[in-house]
Amino acid sequence: MPTHETDICIIGGGITSAMLALKLSELRPNLRLTVVEAGRSIFDVQNRGRYRERALEYGEHPWPEDYVEDQQAAGIIAMTMAVGGLALHWGGACNRFSEEDLRLKSMYGLATDWPIEWRELERYYCEAERRLHVSGEPSPHPEDTRTQPYPQGPIPLSYNLQLLKAWAEQSGLKFQSLPMARNLTPFDGRGGCCVYDTCGEVCPSGARYSPDFTFRQLTQPKKIVLHDRTLVRRLVLDDRKSTVVSASGVHQDRPDETIDYRAKTFVVASGYCWSSHLLLLSANARFLNGLANRSGLVGRYMNGHRFINATANIDDQTYPGQNMTHSLISREYFRCRADRPFVRHDTRVWESSSGRDPRLRTPDGKLLLGDELMTDWRSRTKGSSVRLRAYVDVHPSADSRLTLDASKKNRHGDPMPKIEHHFDEPTLARQAATKAHVLGVFTTLAKASNGRIVNTSEGDYLDHPGGGCRMGVDPATSVCNSFGRTHDHENLFVVGAPTTPTGGCTNGTLTFVALTLRSADEIARTIS
Amino acid sequence: MNRRTLIQWIAALPAVLPFRGLPIFAQPRELTPDAIAFLHEIAPTVLPASIGAAKVRSAVDRFVIWARGYREGVALAHGYGHPRLQKSGASPVPAYLTQLTSLEADARARGGRWSALDLETRRALLDAAFTKAGVRNLPPRPLGQHVIADLMAHYFRSSEANDFCYHAAISREVCRPIQITTRRPAVL
Repeated sequence: MPTHETDICIIGGGITSAMLALKLSELRPNLRLTVVEAGRSIFDVQNRGRYRERALEYGEHPWPEDYVEDQQAAGIIAMTMAVGGLALHWGGACNRFSEEDLRLKSMYGLATDWPIEWRELERYYCEAERRLHVSGEPSPHPEDTRTQPYPQGPIPLSYNLQLLKAWAEQSGLKFQSLPMARNLTPFDGRGGCCVYDTCGEVCPSGARYSPDFTFRQLTQPKKIVLHDRTLVRRLVLDDRKSTVVSASGVHQDRPDETIDYRAKTFVVASGYCWSSHLLLLSANARFLNGLANRSGLVGRYMNGHRFINATANIDDQTYPGQNMTHSLISREYFRCRADRPFVRHDTRVWESSSGRDPRLRTPDGKLLLGDELMTDWRSRTKGSSVRLRAYVDVHPSADSRLTLDASKKNRHGDPMPKIEHHFDEPTLARQAATKAHVLGVFTTLAKASNGRIVNTSEGDYLDHPGGGCRMGVDPATSVCNSFGRTHDHENLFVVGAPTTPTGGCTNGTLTFVALTLRSADEIARTIS
Repeated sequence: MNRRTLIQWIAALPAVLPFRGLPIFAQPRELTPDAIAFLHEIAPTVLPASIGAAKVRSAVDRFVIWARGYREGVALAHGYGHPRLQKSGASPVPAYLTQLTSLEADARARGGRWSALDLETRRALLDAAFTKAGVRNLPPRPLGQHVIADLMAHYFRSSEANDFCYHAAISREVCRPIQITTRRPAVL
């Protein structure tokens, strides 16, 4: 059996893994760091212009073979499994949570508090923003005080968003340019933004941060060892102690040969799905329910946020297509007075062409041809459509779970994960009131420019999922401490999304990175 | 190679070559010159004449290149929220050729060349063809249901058509400095 010796073995190759490896390589340059990722490396930024063209023209996936066909789960939001993870094709939104997210229990008697002080997390938000080179502007709300400025100024508002900001602020809400991990000018080996406007699919210039750049920077000077296409199937404990001694993996091309990764410290950085999955798969005679699972909470309290969408029609004239991946955000409803019914959400505004796209037939069914079609299209472009969305704070119940599905196995015979989200009772009880509140906000916005809401919808999945290894002070009610160190195994950490007790009400990636950077400090400090 | 060795080698071929799954008769992957000529004849009916004859021709040429560049069995966008793996299907070109032949025959049955028919007759022929192919709306991009619907989608869903519609240089899919987006798009 091939054995690979290292000091720290990081399992998973997404954005938290990249940030962890980068920071550890700086803090402890003499440590041997190994990252093991089940998917492949796609370090070909030179091809991404072509991938984008093929995606636009033919609908092809712009990240070739960024998945492992038999390593899929029920209930996931993306099937990407590659070096860089889901952040290969994230939009780049870098919103912070707010202090309320960390104090839900003490402020509102809901869910649970996070075992970390806001002031401390804020420090790591600053670091995360620096490392991701976030472009943003200060929030107009005094509660969102920052201790350091954004590393870049805000993404300039397009003409459309300038109009929409003026429109939206007539409602009394304050909006700002969405903070994004997008270079305005070339930085750190990546290009500046050229408004390809496909941030969420692929960014040919590399302006939108993706972790493949970090991994390339780390592997070329051999600061870390990266083993891609290698699936870690089990963590193995010492025979007598509760420390992890190895991670047992298998390379895609050599499925019959087990690779033994031996390390002083193991970090599971495999995201909201595969982290809990690995711990559950690693059950043994002493830990029948899986590793780090004496509490029975591994795979529980899976979280994320619900979302409510709407389209408004307004009189102001915009020109759809200027910068459709950028948006406005209001943090007005991040706060909720304790003496009012609980409702928390962000409010986002995008330019849109919804309902104003070319159509083949008139409403009475007449086929439109040539200039008729163009004239019909043009007649419907007076005024504007606006896309609105709110991410709503909802709280998981203990049965919001990831479980092992014995009916679906990969080529090695391992059961695949199945995620089912469920809400706690207070969340269910306020669901109708929350929806009414959000739609009321949308209606107020629309009215400002003689507008009206023309359609609404609700997401049928939770976005920015997390949980499954929630952090806490009490080993009976949590899987790990605030640094991600598991209560049951002193040399085993979980980082990022899985450790979050609740999912907040805005994009989660920056928070996952901030928590991971804090874990990196602890790992660097405590490893022998 | 002697004759005996040659026969053994030929006999062994089916075992080593991946014949299974290959069609016995190769399907065309490119539009024929006749089909392209007919597309050019139909294009002024289905694309806006107001963009000018040269741009109509160019739109057809780009669509022909699109059809030539189609790749089969390639992973399509997985989607987000409820992802699933799906791959591109067979080339639409064989169906395109059949559809064009059929349209040409229908035109002949109505009295002559496509361009000689009045607009309402052309509309009726396309309406029937789209209905038969299951085309109800303008496809978001060419999807292989009907060649003319795909030609229309290829143009009307383009950045160029968007600009023409708004009479403005929005340049939706064109790489450009971000500062340009902060200004009202120039009038075309």
